[in-house]
Amino acid sequence: MSSPSLATSLRLAIAGSRSDRMRIALTAIGAFATTVLFCLAASVAFIGEASGPYRFDVLNQPGLRPGVIISMLALTIPTLVFVGQCSRFGAPSRDRRLARLRMAGAQPSEVARIVALETGLASLLGSLAGAGTFFIAKRQFSTEHVATITTQTELGGGGIQIDEVTTTVRLLPTDVTFTAWSIVLLVAVVPLLATMFSSIALRKVIVSPFGVARTQPTAPPTVLPAVLFGAGTLALVGWSTISEALDLHRRALPIVVIVSFCFFIMIVAGLITGGGSIAAAAGHFIAPRTDRPSLLIAGRRLISAPYTSARATTSVLLAVFIGSAVQATREAFLVGTDPTDTFYADTFDLLNVVLIAAIVLSAASLLVTTTEAVVERRRNLAALTAAGTPRSTLARSLLAETLIPLVPSVLLAATAGVLSARGLFGTRVETWDPSTGRSTWLDVHVPLVETATLAVGAIIVCAVVSSVSFGALQRSVDVSELRTAA
Amino acid sequence: MTHPGIASPEQSRTGSMPRESADPSPSGSTVLSVRSAVYSYGSELALEGANVSLGRGEILAITGPSGSGKSTLMLVAAGVLKPTAGQVTYNDRIISNENERQRSRLRRSDFGILFQFGQLVPELTAVENVALPLLLSGVKRAKARAAATAWLDRFDVADLATSRPPEMSGGQSQRVAAARALVTEPTVLFADEPTGALDTVSGELVMSEIVRVAREAGTSIMLITHSAKVAAYGDREIVVRDGRTTESMIDLEATGTNA
Ligand SMILES: Nc1ncnc2c1ncn2[C@@H]1O[C@H](COP(=O)(O)OP(=O)(O)O)[C@@H](O)[C@H]1O
Ligand SMILES: [Mg+2]
Repeated sequence: MSSPSLATSLRLAIAGSRSDRMRIALTAIGAFATTVLFCLAASVAFIGEASGPYRFDVLNQPGLRPGVIISMLALTIPTLVFVGQCSRFGAPSRDRRLARLRMAGAQPSEVARIVALETGLASLLGSLAGAGTFFIAKRQFSTEHVATITTQTELGGGGIQIDEVTTTVRLLPTDVTFTAWSIVLLVAVVPLLATMFSSIALRKVIVSPFGVARTQPTAPPTVLPAVLFGAGTLALVGWSTISEALDLHRRALPIVVIVSFCFFIMIVAGLITGGGSIAAAAGHFIAPRTDRPSLLIAGRRLISAPYTSARATTSVLLAVFIGSAVQATREAFLVGTDPTDTFYADTFDLLNVVLIAAIVLSAASLLVTTTEAVVERRRNLAALTAAGTPRSTLARSLLAETLIPLVPSVLLAATAGVLSARGLFGTRVETWDPSTGRSTWLDVHVPLVETATLAVGAIIVCAVVSSVSFGALQRSVDVSELRTAA
Repeated sequence: MTHPGIASPEQSRTGSMPRESADPSPSGSTVLSVRSAVYSYGSELALEGANVSLGRGEILAITGPSGSGKSTLMLVAAGVLKPTAGQVTYNDRIISNENERQRSRLRRSDFGILFQFGQLVPELTAVENVALPLLLSGVKRAKARAAATAWLDRFDVADLATSRPPEMSGGQSQRVAAARALVTEPTVLFADEPTGALDTVSGELVMSEIVRVAREAGTSIMLITHSAKVAAYGDREIVVRDGRTTESMIDLEATGTNA
């Protein structure tokens, strides 16, 4: 077989089943959303002296814009994870098709090219559509209107002057201009990342001429994630004490920021790598003890593929961790400020909206993973159903597979988030009380209700997603899977 | 040859399985009957009037060319598919009138189903796979596992108890699958090309063991096959052609004398 032409590769890349088309569509949708977010972040980054003012004051404060940009970029993490999940949707059957190509003499590089082409083209389409939509919307929403906004001006000696100004404002930074190269970059970044990811993911699958052999998953590590997570959390919990004792805040603020950020990264790394170990440990605990078929199947599946469910919920965990930290930070900031000044409260509310969006986006990638889990074993599910296994048992098994590792991980993430933010910003805040003319210490509340709402909300969203994916696929769990070629 | 484990599945029976001591039907022994069954997948007509009756303890071979409707007939008879027209009766129950929940419960308690491949849960060990139907009907873990082990032993695969299906050979998986189909001591075993994915030698070994175990337990078998060799295990044979059934022996005689 001669090297396939580009046209042949293209045809092979998209020739296929319903799940192939679904994968391409989902990849494009993910690329669309991610590119829109990148464009939004870029438009904030491009705000200059001549731009503005805007309805949202965070956009008017040069010092706060980096935070806005970082939030936007943080939002692209779940959408990028979504694109990554999508590019693997239905991939096992595609990999089998590619293995047949190998059997017909195709080189590994040619197979890799087909896969890269598929993901690259699908995400490029999505990116182009995303950027196009963004620029059309930017045009549509660029009208100015009159509104009253609060402005803050930093005065000399550390004070802040707050003014109410009535002026013409824009809702969003629709007046910034994008340079040509930035547009090219914005359109290209998602396809590039997605193509890289799918090529790496394919390398884990040995597409040999004799079929597909997935590289054996190694048993998930337990010590490393536990150490990372525990040490990171403890370090942040003790942080304010340590840095005050060493007087670090005054001496080396950049170092303080960098070191505390490193501890945050340690916690995140612990959560990500620990997801698989929690899944496997839960499976090992449950499978040999339960009387319930649904839990038995869920437990055994967690043991045999601990990273599958962990991967699907990673971005949910990150959102819960960051979200809980934000709630605790909010408490620390609000405790000493004037209740009538809504600036901080507004900013934190905006952050919460971003977090909710992140959880919903994360849930979308969970939907892809759970749907795929059902599609992949539809023959087995159909056989079990034919033998009289109630569908409710199978649905519960799928739900348990998602929730068993998720619940402890979410609790850990929420606890770590609250504790580390409290450690970082302290549990007591000194404020100056004008009525007494003295400074007093106020306790920072533990945001129990907010954090619990966030954690339980995330779990509920994941539970709903998992149930939806099974419900939607009940129809695909049908008897046609049971036909045996005679 | 005696198997030490034979008594055990008997002891672990759930007792919830309804099983009449005497058949009230005039023929005295019909367990299951399919009458004028029609089934279509959308616009594709797969069965156009099929008739089957299965006696108690009988092994009925159903043969016919590929695509003739054998598998569809079995799924209709087992209550997996609801016929578009016609009637399926199990003992006194008209199961073609029942809803999926009732039929699912019946399949769990009274029927065993064996496919060509792909029916074992790949993540479960052999013993857990066999214990699964018992757990589904509420038997406790330890009891279910003991019964499952005994059934694995009956099929000479007790040494595979802790293996997982991907580690097993085709013949071994089918033995485990047969143990799972029979662990609830069903009245009827439905088998669709149970040895179709195996080579001739291990296929025959597995087939003869299924027949031996079913005979011991008095289980009726509806055996779907396109191989004459496998069909020879049956007491009787029915041929399916273009979605219609013909009782091969009787039909031959009838057409032979009347023509
Ligand atoms: N899920 C299905 N959708 C559409 N047609 C089907 C489906 N299953 C079976 N058929 C059709 O019904 C007929 C009988 O199929 P089947 O019962 O599998 O035959 P056999 O088992 O004898 O090979 C065939 O023509 C087949 O194409
Ligand atoms: Mg068939």
